[in-house]
Amino acid sequence: MSGRRRLVALAVTVSMALALTACDRGAGASIKVVIADYSKEHTRPFWQALAETYTKQTGVKVDLQVIDWNTIDQQVSTMLQNNQPPDVLNLNAFASYAKDGLLHPAEDILSPKTKDDFLDAFTRGGEFRGKLYGFPILSSARAFFYNRALLAKAGLAGPPGTWDEFLQAARKIQALGGGTIGYALPLGPEEAQAEWSIWMWNNGGDWKSGEAWAINSDRNVQTLSFLADLANKHKVTQVNPGKTNRTDGAFQLFKDGKVGMVMGFSPLAAQLDAEGKVDYGIGLMPSNTGASVTLGVEDYLMAFKKKGNQESVKKFLDLYYQPENITRWITAEGFLPVTKSGLRQMSGNPKLRPYLDALPNARLAPTTDPAWDKVKLDVQQNIGLAVQPGGNPKQVLDQLQKNATAAASGR
Amino acid sequence: MLYPAVLLVRASLSQYSITGLYQGAVGARNYGRLAAQEALPTVVGNTVVWVVVVVAVTVVISLGLAQFLNLEFPGRRLVRWALIVPWAASLVMTAKLFVWIYDYYFGILNHALRTLGLLDRPVDWLGDDATVMGAMIAVGVFVSLPFTTYVLLAGLATIPGEVYEAARVDGASAWRTYRSVTLPLLRPALLVATVLNMIYVFNSFPIVWALNDRNPGFGHDTTITYMYKIAFKSALRDVGLSAALGVVNVVAILLAVFVYLRAVRWREQEA
Repeated sequence: MSGRRRLVALAVTVSMALALTACDRGAGASIKVVIADYSKEHTRPFWQALAETYTKQTGVKVDLQVIDWNTIDQQVSTMLQNNQPPDVLNLNAFASYAKDGLLHPAEDILSPKTKDDFLDAFTRGGEFRGKLYGFPILSSARAFFYNRALLAKAGLAGPPGTWDEFLQAARKIQALGGGTIGYALPLGPEEAQAEWSIWMWNNGGDWKSGEAWAINSDRNVQTLSFLADLANKHKVTQVNPGKTNRTDGAFQLFKDGKVGMVMGFSPLAAQLDAEGKVDYGIGLMPSNTGASVTLGVEDYLMAFKKKGNQESVKKFLDLYYQPENITRWITAEGFLPVTKSGLRQMSGNPKLRPYLDALPNARLAPTTDPAWDKVKLDVQQNIGLAVQPGGNPKQVLDQLQKNATAAASGR
Repeated sequence: MLYPAVLLVRASLSQYSITGLYQGAVGARNYGRLAAQEALPTVVGNTVVWVVVVVAVTVVISLGLAQFLNLEFPGRRLVRWALIVPWAASLVMTAKLFVWIYDYYFGILNHALRTLGLLDRPVDWLGDDATVMGAMIAVGVFVSLPFTTYVLLAGLATIPGEVYEAARVDGASAWRTYRSVTLPLLRPALLVATVLNMIYVFNSFPIVWALNDRNPGFGHDTTITYMYKIAFKSALRDVGLSAALGVVNVVAILLAVFVYLRAVRWREQEA
């Protein structure tokens, strides 16, 4: 009796083991990699080639999906709803996925050598409850762009350093007439949180104070009122800044030579260089506190927990983080390094100088807080209302603060 | 057909995390939350204006166009083809094109109106709260005309020549003939055109999305774009709530079509 029971137990164990290995092999035979489309020219070719190298080395196939930024949130959400998560995902947010327990932490999925190569600031930017879940894929930093010809025409020796100088400069440029615009302020839904972050920090404000949200602090109300005044009192911005997006609004006007100043980043510089129409300079953000701060943006790679995918994903990530691979891609896309080895290699590139110089003063949005994934969208949808004629900066910030506090308490 | 509908209803009764992770069934709670959304009355109002005005204006213009294209004239084939173009073009491309036509700084509309002396200063068509809806409606009508005109044209082709002859023999005026012969006989085609347009226009996403994407808040959204924003572009980021609105949308348009058909038949019986 007992012998038979043992036999049954053995049979069950063996068949379970068989089932598990089969499962392992089944899941490991292919991994799904979802990458956001940074540019038509570079993104797909690079990842396609990387996937082919990976398959050659490991025998594991790669189901590569390159998805444009407009629809990636929606598509990833659909994958999760249908219980078909990717193995590797590239996105500008990670904390909500970590909070839902969907991700492998770094110690399970990255070799120590890869992890130690990350720049410290970006390691911190990917941590959730003390563990690293969001691995830096690339970074960027904003910089202050100005139209040299318009500044000279307005009799300005150089770009403004303080907010007072900035306002004077914007006034003088606007006063040139003929449709010239002092400063292009994009607070429409596309990317308002970025523009707002920079102004907020350069007035000494912040998103949070300690662990608590502090969106409606007195400082921040003062900052948003300053921006509203630029639009409605001083009238030195383009029409309806609360309803202007970045890409097809503010950047387009700057590229057309109509605008004196705008906050841009390296892809804008690449477009300006290609068009050769505007003689521009790049400087530091004007500051009201004496210390110029800019916005750094870290995008992430995440590894989803799926049965038996650990080894395959680990090899894939290690391949991407090999210095020659990651640096080749980041350079091609015109972004900034996230690894120590990458920084050493790229610091000689003169085109990246202004951004690399700004990087030590760059701050990240509070992406490590899962509530940020909602706060960001709330800011994008609503902050523009504050700078419309009759808008109420304090009221808008109060509402954002209320929603942020509610999101933080998990409602 | 049925399976997605079942999925939609099930999603509307569920709660999802911001990541899309299923977190369990919540009964009808999403519907209650939907009713409590502050933006809902505005959005519903926008949707009614959008559907009613686009469909009404489209049908009226299409009646004229169909009548015109039904005439024999040299080059008719060419004009008929030309009318198909906006239909064949993708809605997204058409919407993007109009975004640039309406642009405050670069758009040709402001340029043209100012050159003609009709405007003394440019208008921010897509940014000014007073003009956004009108701008969207104009594009909605533009893209709905081809289909509607062709349905009505097909309707006109089915009207036999003899009835017009009879009207002429009776000495009816052109207007009288149109009202008493053409319109009644065109009724089936009109009905089809109106009902299908109601559904298309109600469900239209690309135009409202592209022309309104620079505007903060929900002041110019229809229930379709609002549904998308609830799921992915607002602080709600809630697939369950969005699915609830999806269910409400389907029911609402079915109801609207039903009410319309009832009203039309009622008038018929009275006449």
